[in-house]
Amino acid sequence: MAPARGFERPGDESPLVRAFFEKRENLVLFLAARTRDMATAEDLAQDLYLKIAAQPPGDVKSPSALLYRMAGNLLIDHVRSRQRASRREGQWRMDTRVAGAEEEVAQEPAADDVVIGRERARMLAEAVAALPPKMGQAFRLHKLEGRSQAETAQAMGVSVKMVEQHISAALKNLTQKLRT
Amino acid sequence: MTSLAAIAGGGDRDGPAAQAGAWLARLQADDVGEAEMLAFDAWLDAAAGHREAYAAALSVWHEFGAGAEAVGEELARPAARKPAQSLTRRWMAGVGGLAVAATVTLALLPALTTTTATYATGKGQHRQVKLTDGSTVDLNAETRLSVKISLFRRQVALSDGEAIFDVAHDTRRPFTVQADGRMVRVVGTQFDVRNRSGDVTVTVARGKVEVRPSAASDQAFMLTRGQRLQVGRTGRAQLAAVDPSETFSWRAGRLVYRNQPLSEVVADLNRQFVQQIEIGDPALAQTPITGVIVLDDPATVVERLSLMLPIRSVPSERGLLLLRK
Repeated sequence: MAPARGFERPGDESPLVRAFFEKRENLVLFLAARTRDMATAEDLAQDLYLKIAAQPPGDVKSPSALLYRMAGNLLIDHVRSRQRASRREGQWRMDTRVAGAEEEVAQEPAADDVVIGRERARMLAEAVAALPPKMGQAFRLHKLEGRSQAETAQAMGVSVKMVEQHISAALKNLTQKLRT
Repeated sequence: MTSLAAIAGGGDRDGPAAQAGAWLARLQADDVGEAEMLAFDAWLDAAAGHREAYAAALSVWHEFGAGAEAVGEELARPAARKPAQSLTRRWMAGVGGLAVAATVTLALLPALTTTTATYATGKGQHRQVKLTDGSTVDLNAETRLSVKISLFRRQVALSDGEAIFDVAHDTRRPFTVQADGRMVRVVGTQFDVRNRSGDVTVTVARGKVEVRPSAASDQAFMLTRGQRLQVGRTGRAQLAAVDPSETFSWRAGRLVYRNQPLSEVVADLNRQFVQQIEIGDPALAQTPITGVIVLDDPATVVERLSLMLPIRSVPSERGLLLLRK
């Protein structure tokens, strides 16, 4: 795999750094599960790289396992600090904005804003409304209202595992509907 | 709820779409263990279709994240609730599931194809290139760059020269420019990158740009409108406030200088014209110049230069030789 983001690979890289470059694409996909977009996942992967690049080279038994452990910790920190920021603002989605028209989006969106059009929002809403009731409720509470799976489980009076299964099925359903 | 039971039961019988949904849902938890993470990693690598299915689910997931508020508002409208339809839809999803999965894969294929292209200009040439993602790149004379656009990122390598980038907003695919180990990472914006024999300069006209002076450095500069970062071959970085329109003026056939030595001006001019200018006097080469040079033809340019400096020109083998008056 080519080193991404333009960083040159140092000549005497440690096994951990080498494993990072081999696993980089997968790590980004792992991180992206809980970031708001791919760019943020790329940033976290970059943070991870900086962490391991700063470590003195040494023997690591399972570089992949260590990389994922570190990525997992970074991700949890990231999610917590984002939640703290959201709570401070008194709302969950402080960084979301809706534009009336696509042209507006193309003009000059504030750098970090992720924007979706009203028309697309309607399509997404219809897809959610068409989900089976329990599945739809789990998806709304978890994804749209920003509750954790545990909080969603408590609100619905079901197990956390059941919420995860609802989300999983909802994702399959919505992806098929919205990506065709 | 039979479909749920099937997913819970491991998912081997389910297609990649169901497995992707199961993984994405599982990864939302705080208690994902090392073994599970490695299982996810192995699943991604196990089949080409896994990665695509996961990327498709991710893009929907992110879209719902970005539009959570708007979607919530739409759902609150009475018109959005159509419970009467859901039974039919569920039935159709069951029957048509396979066909739909096949369509998803097909529709994704073009987007997954990575396109790579190289663009170059010679002396005196300017060129505008429209990239497949909607971004525009203006190449100054004697510039060489390659562009790689994939599902996950947009990468430009500027091996030599200067270019102005107007980057199309797409948070899913970061836009990066690499110039001699220096990295420019874009957050949505217009900027100029110049790489002449390893001296890299980045000037921002709009938006935000992150520049990393070297591959190893964990130092990053976040530049905004009107800022210019110069990074020399040694990696030393210098930040300055500039008028971006001056830096971007070459696109309109003008060069703007503020206290820059004549040698630099001549080097720029020699990229713009086939006819080459030489400086006959080393002391003259160091003379600072401030002013606007309109790029029409070498003779006129030198004429205008002679109004700013005590110089005269004589024809030489390659073009013109500048001498002290």
